[in-house]
Amino acid sequence: MPKKFKIKVVLVGNPNTGKSTLFNALTGVRQHVGNWPGKTVEKKEGILEYKGRTIKIIDLPGTYSLTAYTEEEAITARFINGTKPNVVVQIIDAQNLERNLFMTVQLIESGAPLILAINMLDLTQKENIQIDTKKLSILLGIPVVPISAKQKKGIENLMQTIVGYFENPPTSFLKLKYGTKIESETKKRYDLVKNLSKEVLSSPTLQGDNTSDKIDKILLNKFLGIPIFLVITWLMFQATFKLSKPLINWIETLFALLAKESFLILDKIGALKWTQSLIVDGIIGGVGGVLVFIPIIGTLFLLIALLEDSGYMARIAYLMDNFMQKLGLHGKAFIPLIIGFGCNVPGIMATRTLATKRDRLLTILINPFISCGARLPVYALFAGAFFSSYQGLIVFSMYLLGIFIAILAGLIFKKILLKTTSSPFVIELPPYRYPALQGILLHAWGKIWLFIKKAGTIILAFSIIIWLMSSLPVGVDYGSNKSLAGKMGEIASPIFEPLGFGNWESSVALLFGLAGKEIIVSTFGTLYGVNIENTQSVSQALKDNFTPLSAYAFMVFVSLYVPCLPTIAIIKRELNSWKWAIFVIFYTTAVAWIMAFIVYQGGSLLGFN
Amino acid sequence: MGTKNTNYLKMKKLLLSQLKQGIRAEILKVDCGKNFTGRLCDLGLFEGTNVTIVKNDHFGPLILKILNSKIALGRGEAAKIYAKEI
Repeated sequence: MPKKFKIKVVLVGNPNTGKSTLFNALTGVRQHVGNWPGKTVEKKEGILEYKGRTIKIIDLPGTYSLTAYTEEEAITARFINGTKPNVVVQIIDAQNLERNLFMTVQLIESGAPLILAINMLDLTQKENIQIDTKKLSILLGIPVVPISAKQKKGIENLMQTIVGYFENPPTSFLKLKYGTKIESETKKRYDLVKNLSKEVLSSPTLQGDNTSDKIDKILLNKFLGIPIFLVITWLMFQATFKLSKPLINWIETLFALLAKESFLILDKIGALKWTQSLIVDGIIGGVGGVLVFIPIIGTLFLLIALLEDSGYMARIAYLMDNFMQKLGLHGKAFIPLIIGFGCNVPGIMATRTLATKRDRLLTILINPFISCGARLPVYALFAGAFFSSYQGLIVFSMYLLGIFIAILAGLIFKKILLKTTSSPFVIELPPYRYPALQGILLHAWGKIWLFIKKAGTIILAFSIIIWLMSSLPVGVDYGSNKSLAGKMGEIASPIFEPLGFGNWESSVALLFGLAGKEIIVSTFGTLYGVNIENTQSVSQALKDNFTPLSAYAFMVFVSLYVPCLPTIAIIKRELNSWKWAIFVIFYTTAVAWIMAFIVYQGGSLLGFN
Repeated sequence: MGTKNTNYLKMKKLLLSQLKQGIRAEILKVDCGKNFTGRLCDLGLFEGTNVTIVKNDHFGPLILKILNSKIALGRGEAAKIYAKEI
């Protein structure tokens, strides 16, 4: 029997108030992230049992006001007015009481059933800010609860207040009436807020710099800011490889063992030769080859979440604004590019925070060149096989190439396609803080889980398809050029001949790689089969088919061609245009072909092989 | 610079983008178009409010302290806001 939701609660608040932390504290892992129907704004929901009641909690996007400047704010306003939640909880950052109360006033005006949760009382006690929550409650005529989302203090009290509010809603609201002109409305709201905070807030006169200001003096320094940012990025990628390496070795050994054991067991029970091949070559070779890279992708997402949660991400937008202006964009457009290093799909979704369609289009068009986590397995496989002593450097060069091409593409698009100017740049630089570990782990786990699910579904399906195509028609040698896959690859391979990888296996891998670039690795894994004696067999087979130069040209092509079909689908959805989505397929492939051609032919002329 | 010059500057309306680091200023006029002006209102920046210039490198965005938060504002936009030193 489906459970009836007794109480529907929504969380609202300014960005950087600890709203997500509170949401995580309330719902833990019992949360679901999706999209608003027909919209490109993220919707987070969770369920909570409290004293026999079922409470559904909806986390609305962080907003500064109920006036609709971005799509996210429009959604928040519409949701509160249209869906009539039982209780609206606004999280308030105690350090920023006045600006937060501005939205409170708007919420009261709209007649929302409002409770205030004032966050970071722990922090303010340290900084000696006192807020008289009782007085504020009386003045506003609504419940006010002090909490600390991070230390999970006051949560019980908040839950009690929510239930109490639901069962006995207060009868008298503060009625606020203002003039009709927008500007005077703002002024009157702020005047009211100023008077309110005078009544309830006592803070020592802020003198000198606080810790965040001191950190900013260094991290945002005129000369040091960008070099420090580059060093941080470099360290991030170093850490990604160093931290994940032992885990990768461990998983590799595990899968080699699994392949060997399954082979022996299947042999013992007298399984048919083809089932043995399907399971060992097809499934274990294909899926295992990709799952091996979970540690890399997991670490990368963990580090990106760390950047975001610590408050540094907004600083990156500040630092890169000057540079991005040259591409006809502003600093905020740099954030989707950084996220793109993890995966282009969330990267493209992150363009939602940009206010104009033009900025979004430009940022989306260059995002596919940013090397995502799924390309890393390919780089790692090839760099490991051909350039083992310069592995890090070779992989790093792929990232630089992607960035370089993205910049070039940005300049060209700005010149020919989108001559209008960038939208205005404004971003809040929140105080630095220690990241909430739970939130970061939940975030990274969500991404890893998505990847595992993908490995269990799409990649598994493709592994089986590739295996079938390599085994059919019946009687053909597995993975030979006489097989279906081989024939298909041979038709396509002349296109790649001038790039140095005219072997049919590459063509097949690139074709299947359209579904996701990590599938390139699993395709090679399936085609060459995993050797049950050692795990090096794919590398060995690659060495028979590629030279170091053609391997590098192949990496270049993989780095730049069509990001993957999910990315194309998200581009279509975000821009609501097939035209642009199809354009991305063709222009990225053309760029990839040209660059790989230059690398291979240029390299050959210079005498490399 | 002579005192005469400084006095003259103090009396005149200046663009936010021209103000030096560390200065506290009163906003006189925001000329950023309806939408963006509205956004700045939400952040607490509108005619009559006071802001502090936390950082102005004379290239790239400015950092302002508005109410109790730090806001980075593009140079182009800061050049459309009039303010006076206080």
